[in-house]
Amino acid sequence: MSYILYKRSMKKNSLYLLIGCVAIALVLIFWESDELHSPLLIMVAFVAAVALILFARSRVTDLIQDERDIKITEQAMTRTMLVFWVVFCAFSIGAVVQMLQVPTFSRPPPGQHLVTLLSPRMMGFVQLGLLCLMIFLYVGFRIYYARKYGEWDSDEE
Amino acid sequence: MPGNMGNGTLMKNKIKVFRAMHDLTQDSLAQAIGVNRQTILAIEKGKYVPSLDLAFKIARHFKVNVEEVFTYEEEIPEETR
Repeated sequence: MSYILYKRSMKKNSLYLLIGCVAIALVLIFWESDELHSPLLIMVAFVAAVALILFARSRVTDLIQDERDIKITEQAMTRTMLVFWVVFCAFSIGAVVQMLQVPTFSRPPPGQHLVTLLSPRMMGFVQLGLLCLMIFLYVGFRIYYARKYGEWDSDEE
Repeated sequence: MPGNMGNGTLMKNKIKVFRAMHDLTQDSLAQAIGVNRQTILAIEKGKYVPSLDLAFKIARHFKVNVEEVFTYEEEIPEETR
C-alpha cells in the first residue's frame, strides 16, 4: 500500500482499492474508539482518511473529470444540500426546544432510562441517520443527473 | 436530438457529421479535446449543452467556426405550429 502512495501516479482501480482499505480501517478504528471510549480517535482518523483519499485521487492519471462530470456533481450536491438543510434545521430546531426544557425535565422512574427521539442519548444516532440520509440523497441525485446528462447512453457507433 | 436549454431555446449541433467527414470516432475526438467519450455522446444526442470553451475547442478541432458546428434556435411553441 505504501508503494502505491509514494508513486507519482496511480491508476483508477488502485484508488478504488485504497478507498476500500480505508473504509475497512475506519470501521475497525470506530470499533476501537468505542472500546476505548475515545471519540477523538475516530474523529481524527476520519479527517485523516478523507485527506488521504483526496491526496491519492490527485495522483490518479486515468481519471478524466470533464465539465459534464463537474456539472453532474454540482447539481447533485446542490439538490442534496437543498433537501438536507431543511431536514437538518428541523431536527436542530427540535433539539434546541428540547434543550430549553432541560431544567424542567421530569426524572424517569428509578431503574428506567428515559429515551426520547431528541434526548442527548439519541442525538448521536439521529445525526448518524441524517448522515446516511445525506449519502443516500447524494447517490440518488447523482444517478438522476448522470442519467439526465447521458451517462449510460450507448451509441450505434 | 437537439439540446433543450430550458428557456425555450434549442442548441443543435453537427458534431456527428463533422466526425464522419474527418473519419473520427467519439473516443478519438474526446481524447483530442480532453473530455470523456460519454460527454461527446451526450452532446451529440442533445443531452448535454457544452460550455463555450468546449464548443470552441470542438469547432477549432474541426478547423471551422463555432456557428458551423453549433446552431442556436428559438423553440416554436406547440400552439403556433
